[in-house]
Order: sequence, then structure tokens, then C-alpha cells
Amino acid sequence: MSILIGQILQQETDFNVIIQTLFSLAFIIYLVYAQKLQSLQMLNQIEATLRRLKKIRDEARGVTLNTINEVGKPGVDVSNKVDRILEFISIPLTDMDPYGIVDKLDQYLKVNHNIFEAEVKAIAPNASEIERQNLENLVGLTFELNYIYKAMRHNYLMGKKTMNIYIILQVHMILPLIMQLVESLTVGIQATREGIPIGDSVGPIVAGRLMKDYPKRDISKEMVSAEVPFDGRTLIVMKAKGPGGTVGTPDEAIINILNEKEGKVKIIIMIDAAGKMEGEPVGAVSEGVGAAIGGTGKEKFKIEEIATKFKIPVHAIAIKQGQEHVMAPLVEELAEGAEKAGESVKRIIMDYSGPGDTVIVAGIGNTIGVGQ
Amino acid sequence: MKTNSQGGSPPPVTSINASRVNLVIIVIIGILSLASLYLGFKSFTEDQITAYIYILIGALGFAAIGYMLFRGGRPSSQTKQDIPQVDILTTLECPKCNLRRVREFKKGDYIFKNDEACTRCDGNMIISRIHKKKDPEKEKKQNFIE
Repeated sequence: MSILIGQILQQETDFNVIIQTLFSLAFIIYLVYAQKLQSLQMLNQIEATLRRLKKIRDEARGVTLNTINEVGKPGVDVSNKVDRILEFISIPLTDMDPYGIVDKLDQYLKVNHNIFEAEVKAIAPNASEIERQNLENLVGLTFELNYIYKAMRHNYLMGKKTMNIYIILQVHMILPLIMQLVESLTVGIQATREGIPIGDSVGPIVAGRLMKDYPKRDISKEMVSAEVPFDGRTLIVMKAKGPGGTVGTPDEAIINILNEKEGKVKIIIMIDAAGKMEGEPVGAVSEGVGAAIGGTGKEKFKIEEIATKFKIPVHAIAIKQGQEHVMAPLVEELAEGAEKAGESVKRIIMDYSGPGDTVIVAGIGNTIGVGQ
Repeated sequence: MKTNSQGGSPPPVTSINASRVNLVIIVIIGILSLASLYLGFKSFTEDQITAYIYILIGALGFAAIGYMLFRGGRPSSQTKQDIPQVDILTTLECPKCNLRRVREFKKGDYIFKNDEACTRCDGNMIISRIHKKKDPEKEKKQNFIE
């Protein structure tokens, strides 16, 4: 066929001249407008994603409103109040003088949390504490989705307004990553609405299994601990107080225990969910040293500081998972991983402490759907 | 939503290529357009009007392909449900007789909850696990390079 077309085009006909002119014209147009065409193509793709993002954001808002009406029974229309929470701003701290920044961050986060808690309480006055904590998580997810949508829309409109390929290109490049993040947030909506344990709950599951048969006491805000005898040692096991969705205040809990025991603790073991590398299986357990805790870094700093003060080694147990698992309902591999991590805790205690020693075991993470 | 998990590797990149269905449609239109152009060129010396029609059809076919590509493939994840709902299972265990039972998740279930009475002994069953029901199709797709 190509030979035939070639033969036809080789013939000196008017048609051949027309075709050649058209091709030359198309080539010149492409040379001049290639960048513009590419920009338009990228803008179209961003727009399609943005439309989907808007749909997700609106659906999440709808689910949040329905859940608030269902469990909080506010009796009045709270959609305006919900929208006000979704537009809430947290002005970041200035770090021009980094001295004392951790305490400032601590105070800032507490104020943020308290205001958020009060706002949710106001729109869901009849929700129980557990329901309120889960609602806080749900509103938090919708807040994040709303923020991502607005940021993406801003960048899209900036690109469209300026038609600057470099602005458009930057947005276009991160588009798949943004959608991955959005998907990892949307899978958390069912979990937070129904109180289902999530990937981040593996730490509290490990701690809860150790402490479930022993008396518990509140040790700091939204944190519980229990003294568990184990082969001649005393384990002080702690986790966020479940089954409501909270991460508690593990740094304050560890500080309180260490001050109470005057630093007479042999080791601290921290169990947390950790990001896996691509190719690593979900639920794989890794052991190591250091404070196994994510978040803003404030808790990590405080735990490291107190552990250094009393010269206590900190052991870490990480249960590996992808970003898509962190907020999604717990998968079976992670439930098995939590069991494996429990065995690791026992082995570390046997290897690094002796009879009569006290060991702190902290299950770090969101305790939604996990009791104690 | 607050989590305390530690950051790890960035998530895998979702491809933005046109979906397979779109690709098949593009290929079919491409073949038909090529055939139409071929017929147009072939009949150009014999019947010019027919030839112009064929060439026009072929050109329109390629224009359609161009439009489909230009419109931009949507992210492959777009076919997914916007807010996914998954089946959740609750595993209950009797600490006395070790009886294990799996049922659908009910609102109010939580791990370590003292739930219903054991059907085999006089003990109480405790919820030992709550997790997502496995998707066998997804499991088949997983292929780790050890």
C-alpha cells in the first residue's frame, strides 16, 4: 500500500502539489504553534482531572454532611458551618529564629486541634465521644480534599491565564501524584464514617493486644496505658484511647511515664506504620532503632529529647504499607503484619532487657476501630 | 485526618495514557482512514469525485484521531468509583474454646470488643480482627520481584 501511495505521490499531478503544499503548511504551523498546542493539550488533561477532583470533593462534603446529621443530630442546617470549617486557615509559624520552634509548634498544634474539636462538637452536639472523634477525622479528610481542589484550581487558572507552558507543565507533571494522594484520602472516607480500623491503626493494634486483659489508666490527653507483667519484666504498654479516631499524645505519655519512673526504664519500643518502598510486600515488619513516629516531628523531637536525657535506647518496629493503605480500611496483610510485630516486640524485650526491668511499649498511630 | 505513619517512598505514578478501549477505537479508525485514503488515491485518475469523497473521509478519520488524542487521555484511575466502598469482615474469637467466626462488619464493631456469646461454650467472643475482604482479581495482578 505504501509503495502505491509513494508511486501516486511521485506523479507530477496537481493533486501532488496540493498535498505537498498542505504538508509544508502543516509543518510550518506546527513549528510556530507546537508549544501552544502542547499547552492546550496539557490544560485539557488538567481540566479533566480537576472536574473529577471537584466531583470527589463535593461527594465527600455530602457524605460528611449526611454523617453529621445522622450521628450528631444538630436539628438545624449545618451546611454553612461545615463550609466554614472547610475554609478554616492555619497560618504557618515563622521560623526566622528557630530557637524554641518546637514548643511554639506544640502550642500551635494544640490550638488547632482544640478549635477543630470545638467546631465539630458544635455541629454534632449529640454525637458520643467516639462518634465525634470519627467525625473529626471525616471532616479532616474533606478539608484536605477541598484544599487540594482549590490549590489545583488555582494553578490551572494561573496556567490558563498566562498560557505559560512552564506553569502548566509543573501542574501537569504532578497530576498523577496528586490523584494518587486524592485516592488515598477518599478510601479513608468509608473507614472514618463507619469506624473501621485503617492502615495507620497497626501500632495501636499491637499495643492493644498486649494490654487488653490488664487494667488501664489515662496517662495523657487521649492516651491510655497498662502495666503488663511479662517474663519477670514490667511492660508499660500505651496507645491512643480507642476506639474513636485519634492519635493521642504519645510524646506526653512517654514523658509522663519516664518522669513518674524517674527514668528507670530499660528500653522504649515504638511500633508504627511506615511507608514501604515499591516492591516491598505490604505488612512486612522491620526492626531498628529510633523514634518510630511520623506527623509534624514535634512528638519525635520530644521523645528523642527525653530518651536522651535519661539515656534510654529507643527501638523501632515498622509495619510497612503503601500510601494508599494508610487511611484505607485495614487489609488482611496488615492485620497479619500486626501479629508479626507483636512477636518482634516480645523478642526485643527478651533480647534487650532482663528480669526486673521496666520496658515502655508504645503503639503509635490512629486508633480508629481499635479498643484496648 | 491525623495519622502518625512515617513517610516512605512516593506512590506509584498513575499513567495518563488513553484507556485501552480508546486505543482500540483509535487503531480501528486509523486503519479505516488509511484504507479510505488508499482508495481515494487509487481512483483519483479514474473518477475524481469519488476520489475526493474517499480522501475527505480518510482526512476526517485522521482529524477524529487527532481530536481524540488532543482531548487528552484521562487518568486510568478515572474509571474507579469516586468514593469507594469496600466489604469489611469482622473476625470473632472465643478466648475460652478458640472458636473462630468471620462475619460481615457491623457499625459499632471494633477490635478487642467483647461481642456476642460463644455458640460452642459459655464464653464471650472477642473481635480479634477487622479487615477488608480480599479482592482475588487484584491479588492475581500482584507480581513482586523478590
